[in-house]
Amino acid sequence: MSVIVAASLTQRFGSDLGLDAVDVDVDAGEHLAVLGDNGAGKTTLLRILATAARPTSGSLEIFGLNATIERRRLRAVIGFVAHAPGLYPALSARENLEFYCTLQGVDRTRVAEVLEMVGLAELAGRPADKLSRGAQQRLAIGRAVLHDPKLLVLDEPDASLDSGGADLLARVMKGRTVVIATHDHALANRLCQRTLMLRHGRVVGIPTRLRVVH
Amino acid sequence: MRSIAVALAVARKDLTSEWRTRELVPALAQFIVLALVIANFGFQIDSHNAPAIAPGVLWMALVFAGLVAFGRAFASEREQSSLEAMLMTPASPAAIFAGKALAAALLLVLCEAVLLPALALFFGVPLSFDVVSAVLLATVGMAVLGCLFAAMVARVRARELLLPLLTLPLWIPFIVFGGQAVQVAMGGSGGTGNTSGLLIDLDILFVVLTSLTARFVLDD
Repeated sequence: MSVIVAASLTQRFGSDLGLDAVDVDVDAGEHLAVLGDNGAGKTTLLRILATAARPTSGSLEIFGLNATIERRRLRAVIGFVAHAPGLYPALSARENLEFYCTLQGVDRTRVAEVLEMVGLAELAGRPADKLSRGAQQRLAIGRAVLHDPKLLVLDEPDASLDSGGADLLARVMKGRTVVIATHDHALANRLCQRTLMLRHGRVVGIPTRLRVVH
Repeated sequence: MRSIAVALAVARKDLTSEWRTRELVPALAQFIVLALVIANFGFQIDSHNAPAIAPGVLWMALVFAGLVAFGRAFASEREQSSLEAMLMTPASPAAIFAGKALAAALLLVLCEAVLLPALALFFGVPLSFDVVSAVLLATVGMAVLGCLFAAMVARVRARELLLPLLTLPLWIPFIVFGGQAVQVAMGGSGGTGNTSGLLIDLDILFVVLTSLTARFVLDD
């Protein structure tokens, strides 16, 4: 069963073309890596798939719902890690997550579980602006999985993570449908079943199956 | 009920951040005191003209402090890229907006707690319940309008210029009726109508209108 069915997604920024008729199809439980150079359109595609942006044209269905109309309903089942962590610097790691518990309608008991999962249990009381960039990224990943989403959209989540980052990503991706943008082909090979290569907003070649998952 | 919980959580988050960083209120309080000192030197204040001049000074200080307070409410969210993270939740954008407006209004009330006693001190005008209630009633409407436009311009580079251009024309009724109410309460001549009632009507009108439009402004 397809979780994401996107057809001819096109995004224009004035006269510039960010995405040019991109088709994406992701099955339930599948992990898709989106690869490409800087400016290839990875972030644009992921923002559309996460419902953070609307495409100029094309159609997008997520879990069978029209993603341009049912954005709020879909956001309850999508977790998104954007380029910037988007944390509140004066609030502690725990307070950041507790705040999002209220917004997500999730019980606060989930916070301790997520802090443990992303390896921040010992830094829970530290203000977000006193955390290292890698720890901030872990917190942003924790926020994205706070509501136990079925679909995870990760925009270069490995950018500031340390050597344990791949293990963390493997943990949070397990059992979920995932679209992840990365420059790291080795990481894509380890974590994903398929890759989609973008260049100048277009899909290059056909999506590649990396390995068979049983 | 969930919307109320979201609005309160957003307001609490903003107030906690301000309490810990003390970025806005101390600077605004200093600005207010300086504005009053300058006005005190700029006008030849005596017991006869103080009730006529003081309301004007009060509203000028309040308007400029409000523009800064409401502008920061959304500018900081944009700078931290945290507004998108909030909007990526199923929480209602109207509830998020209400929480932001509530926090900004409470911060402005804190500034008013400095402004009103300082005005009474510098201008020798009475500080009565009527003065306080007129200022608080105007704050509600000014806060929702200020926050709506602040959210609208937050993504624009020239937001510091655009915010007053959009907001001030719609604040004029609050300044007119609030000014009249304060002038009468301070013993000056002014409108004799029910200005408090008008301020309440305006508050209701703009709270409803901004609640309806917040969704389109925040979640484009």
